[in-house]
Amino acid sequence: MGQIISIHSFRGGTGKSNVTANLAAQVALVDKRVGVVDTDIQSPGIHVLFGLDETHTGNTLNDFLHGKCTIREVAFPVGDNSRQHVQLVGKDLWLFPSSIRGREISQILREGFDINLLNRGLQTLMSEFDLDYLFIDTHPGLNEETLLSIAISDLLIVILRPDNQDFQGTAVTVDIARSLDVPNLQLMVNKAVPGYDYEDLKEQIEGAYQAPLTGILPLNFELADNASKDLFTLSNPEHAWSQELRTVTEAILSVDGGAK
Amino acid sequence: MKGLNSFMGQETIAQLKKINWFDGLPDDMLAVLSQKAYKRMFKKDDILFHKGDEGASLFVILSGRVKIVTQDVDNNEVILNKVGTGEIIGEMALLDYEPRSAGVVALEKTAALELSRKDFMEIMKAQPDLALSLIRNLSSRLRHNTSYIEKITEMSRRVARGDYSFIGETQPAKKKKGKISKEDKIVQLQAEFYAMVQGVRKREEEWEKQVQKLTLQIDESKRKREFEEITSSDFYANIKEQAKKIRDKRKDKK
Repeated sequence: MGQIISIHSFRGGTGKSNVTANLAAQVALVDKRVGVVDTDIQSPGIHVLFGLDETHTGNTLNDFLHGKCTIREVAFPVGDNSRQHVQLVGKDLWLFPSSIRGREISQILREGFDINLLNRGLQTLMSEFDLDYLFIDTHPGLNEETLLSIAISDLLIVILRPDNQDFQGTAVTVDIARSLDVPNLQLMVNKAVPGYDYEDLKEQIEGAYQAPLTGILPLNFELADNASKDLFTLSNPEHAWSQELRTVTEAILSVDGGAK
Repeated sequence: MKGLNSFMGQETIAQLKKINWFDGLPDDMLAVLSQKAYKRMFKKDDILFHKGDEGASLFVILSGRVKIVTQDVDNNEVILNKVGTGEIIGEMALLDYEPRSAGVVALEKTAALELSRKDFMEIMKAQPDLALSLIRNLSSRLRHNTSYIEKITEMSRRVARGDYSFIGETQPAKKKKGKISKEDKIVQLQAEFYAMVQGVRKREEEWEKQVQKLTLQIDESKRKREFEEITSSDFYANIKEQAKKIRDKRKDKK
């Protein structure tokens, strides 16, 4: 069996979708079979990074959760549709997008959905697509679908910014992950502004949370106003942000029990 | 010992030139002064003068080494400084009539040139030109010192405002050959002041760096409260149970 990896941050704005999409792409590049699920149903965002926009007429996770289609029918094969990134052509990378249609978002928020159905769907796609890695882009905070994603994860990666609100929120997330017996926990810092002692911060973080800090990604203005909305590590592989993201990727690949 | 032969003359003039006051005086006037200077020899531990003595003469160390000493409250000797060849001791005493502020003791066999106030004053009376030259010289030195004081005052004001921009533009005081001797206390003050400003700025920079060290703070009671809020629900218990089953099932498959 492959590994389920949840990418989480306690608050929004940590650059979670960008990190998740780039990690998934980097893992797919080394010929792993990779799925990306956007369970951030309230505010989906990862699809654009894989070249999907509102003109996409395929099925979404919302359709699956409303019983309108199977999870297999939600899959969008990035490797067959990558116009932006030639590197991904032919790679085994599937995106399972949430709906970005306002009506469908409000419907699912209003009516809710069966969390067990989501769980079954995730387990199904792991086996049907024979995935090595399934990345889950979670909603910030600790709502029910996020708790589910964390609970079923083999590896939880918590993204935090270097500020006290994130330090506090991360502490709660770490406690929850331990309580749910998540086998592996990794931390990464994103949006690190220059001029601080990050070696010292790394020591503090690893000491406080008793988990490895696998990367400190600098605040990246080019990424923030990335007009092309593409996968930054593929279009700017030499950038410091990309290099640091690749060290996070290596930490993921080195977690035992993932690759078959 | 009194008086100097012609062999000693030139050497004495050269030594007198090292005294700030006499700096720039013409050689013929220095020659008059040198006529009155005594050469004196001291053995190790000989006392040149005691603290509190009437300051009646100046000494120029020709060779050897002496210590300048005072006493602490328990009467123990405290060494203020050690000086050697070419250095001057007690020159202010010739004019200001203050008692010796410290004692001087030879550390080894030492030769010194002594010029007494009595002789010095006699020359001044007999040679008004020499007296005038000396006054002119002292006045020029006063002016020179005042310019340094103004410079240091301005630097102090800028440091108070946190403006260190003059570091780099301002050269630390250098001894100018001839004009300013190493005895020049005001030049020394400027150099010390400059070093102090650099030290202050360095400490300030280190302090600023320390501010940029992030301190990870976690409110532990809030952490516990939030954890309990989440984990106390039925939903949480259910999901924990399910997650365990899923893990066990997947473990079996492996």
